[in-house]
Amino acid sequence: MSTRGASLKGLLLAALLVSHMLLTKEGVTSMPICPNGSVNCQLSLEELFDRAVKLSHYIHYLSSEMFNEFDERYAQGRGFIAKAVNSCHTASLTTPEDKEQAQQIHHEDLLNLILGVLRSWNDPLIHLASEVQRIKEAPETILWKAVEIEEQNKRLLEGMEKIVGRVHSGEVENEIYTPWDGLPSLQLADEDSRLFAFYNLLHCLRRDSHKIDNYLKVLKCRLIHDNNC
Amino acid sequence: DLLQWPQISKCRSPEMETFSCFWTAGNFYNLTVPTMLQLLYKKSNEEDWKECPDYITSGQNSCYFNASYTSVWTPYCVQLASKNEVYDKKCFSVDEIVLPDPPVHLNWTLLNTSQTGIHGDIQVRWDPPPTADVRKGWITLEYELQYKEVNETKWKELKPRLSTMVPLYSLKTARDYEIRIRSRQRTSEKFGEFSEILYVSFSQIGIGCDHCTEEVEFPWFLVVVFGVCGLAVTVISIMLSKQPRLKMLIFPPVPVPKIKGIDPDLLKKGKLDEVNSILACHDNYKTQLYIDDLWVEFIELDIEDPDEKNRASDTDRLLSEDHLKSHSSLGAKDDDSGRASCCEPDIPETDFSASDTCDATSDSDQFKKAAEKEDDLLCLDGQDNDESLPSLANTNLQRQHRSTQSENSHLWAPFGDSVESPRPSVHTQISNQNSLASTDFYAQVSDITPAGRVVLSPGQKSKLGRAQREGCTEQNFTMDNTYFCEADVKKCIAVTSHEENEPRVQEQGYNEDGYFTTESLTTTVANLGASTAAPPSSEMPVADYTSIHIVQSPQGLVLNATALPVPDKEFNVSCGYVSTDQLNKIMP
Repeated sequence: MSTRGASLKGLLLAALLVSHMLLTKEGVTSMPICPNGSVNCQLSLEELFDRAVKLSHYIHYLSSEMFNEFDERYAQGRGFIAKAVNSCHTASLTTPEDKEQAQQIHHEDLLNLILGVLRSWNDPLIHLASEVQRIKEAPETILWKAVEIEEQNKRLLEGMEKIVGRVHSGEVENEIYTPWDGLPSLQLADEDSRLFAFYNLLHCLRRDSHKIDNYLKVLKCRLIHDNNC
Repeated sequence: DLLQWPQISKCRSPEMETFSCFWTAGNFYNLTVPTMLQLLYKKSNEEDWKECPDYITSGQNSCYFNASYTSVWTPYCVQLASKNEVYDKKCFSVDEIVLPDPPVHLNWTLLNTSQTGIHGDIQVRWDPPPTADVRKGWITLEYELQYKEVNETKWKELKPRLSTMVPLYSLKTARDYEIRIRSRQRTSEKFGEFSEILYVSFSQIGIGCDHCTEEVEFPWFLVVVFGVCGLAVTVISIMLSKQPRLKMLIFPPVPVPKIKGIDPDLLKKGKLDEVNSILACHDNYKTQLYIDDLWVEFIELDIEDPDEKNRASDTDRLLSEDHLKSHSSLGAKDDDSGRASCCEPDIPETDFSASDTCDATSDSDQFKKAAEKEDDLLCLDGQDNDESLPSLANTNLQRQHRSTQSENSHLWAPFGDSVESPRPSVHTQISNQNSLASTDFYAQVSDITPAGRVVLSPGQKSKLGRAQREGCTEQNFTMDNTYFCEADVKKCIAVTSHEENEPRVQEQGYNEDGYFTTESLTTTVANLGASTAAPPSSEMPVADYTSIHIVQSPQGLVLNATALPVPDKEFNVSCGYVSTDQLNKIMP
């Protein structure tokens, strides 16, 4: 009978746990959305910025690693580096190029620019994730990173839109966006040309992710910590 | 000397606001007319190469680009050239070449010390490099701290961290330490230069432990020594302890080799031949055979050295009516004994040499031993045959029970069908044989009672009284050939008319794996018949075997004492196996 009692207790405990999970609708998250449990809870701007910076840092880390791996694996001996003075498709967006410019631009404009760059990368990242699988003997790490970057970019975009919604005072301005037309180059028949297209795309991704990361840190220090990080 | 061209060694930006490029001139200058080297640069969206704006600020052979010339995420190309020639070219973007300056203002404070005062914890602080604008978040730096004792050579590293302070735990207060820190941009891999070395000395703040110069290390040596001693003491005490259970638990007994059916003493003391025979029999031994101890006992007795007492007792047991237990199974079993298993029943052995089969071996050995001991085995002496009869009885029994039932039925049935036995003659034999049961080297089984007891007839000797003990002068039998020609045997029998000629039979029998050759059968039957029908003449061969009247499987065999006609001479031609066709011819 003791085993029966024990099994009943176990069942009860399991039932309680399951019901608690269902009621609270919490999975495994590291950052609770509404710790106080209030109905109209909102994350503070600090919280939003913290998360955005974390995400942007992670995206830049992934793209940097991916570029290094690709460089090691495919670019050696092909002379890609010499041709790396390229222009990315986001070059048409006028973004601050040094600290002074970053200091002087208005935070709303900067936010919009960030949003524009993120939106412009949405499409290329989707195609990158799918086309990189067609590379002959692509390492699993590169494949995984491509998919992960695309996913995280979406999340960052959502977060940025939230931040913009909080910070923006006036109406929504024209959406900043640059279309990407590099898909055919990723599907070239010639392997060398195709790999060079990938190389350029990954190089641009690393650069732009670094830009976004920097802008967000600057904004965070400016808006949250009052230039005293 | 190798000619070294001018090269751009590196380009570096310490804070992501300015950058500098450095080059080496090589030994080109020494060899040719010295010309001015120039560094030209170009942004990716420009067409023209421009010259370096500042050759001075960063030192010799350098070019410094200040903030106005620096665009962080813009690709640059620089090239080292003279008027005529381009020596080197590099392309990069500023965010890729960030190497921060070292941190500054390193200092340390004591957190606490251990109770013994031997160890202490400190907190190290520093400031980020002044050039890096961390406060506005333009650059994010990571720091790596390294420390070591003053007289050590290898630095210990801590994990890179973002904060500008780190605790160091468990430093020895008696020793002095050195600390250095370097930084890097958070998403880069390369570190900048190391900071200046910070010296940590506890004695300066007055907590140095002067009398703690000796290091208290863990006494590994003592631990090992005491551990070994304790283990040895424990083992010895267990071994010497009188508690068998504890001993069994710690030191389980090693199982000695044991083969079922073999007496270990035999292995120790038995002779090599016997042991060989036993082991040979166990090549494919069947375990069920040795479940019954009687069979084991039976086999052991057979193999042992001739021992009068044992054999007498065994034979008495066999022949006695009162001993039921040992004979019921002996008489009843038709299946193979252990002996039989090594003699394949279907092998058409034409070579009847002794060494082929184990039975042959043992029997021949037995025979030889017996022969050695006595002058005439064939001409059995009453006194000396005590030991021979049990073996005879045993082998007889063995043979009978050795063969499979099918063989039995196959072989014996014709006999049984065709031969009628006058039973009383058998019984007369039986009655007479008790007294002389122990006199024969071999005895035939005259009857197997329904109760399962084997009744032996020791041969013509018992029937006719004690015959003259005449040796078989013609001991021409080749001892190694265990198969005796009937002719030879008949001679001997003729000489000693009441003698037994069992050996022949034995050897014949077991070669065919347990069943009697028809020849021997006929011979024995003839002998027996002759003996019963009429007073035996010296010419008549003695019937040593009777045919089997009925095979009452599995309880026994009923033997005939039929008088069969003496086989024709055609049977004397070969000593071999007589076919059943031939046999049927002579059978009535």
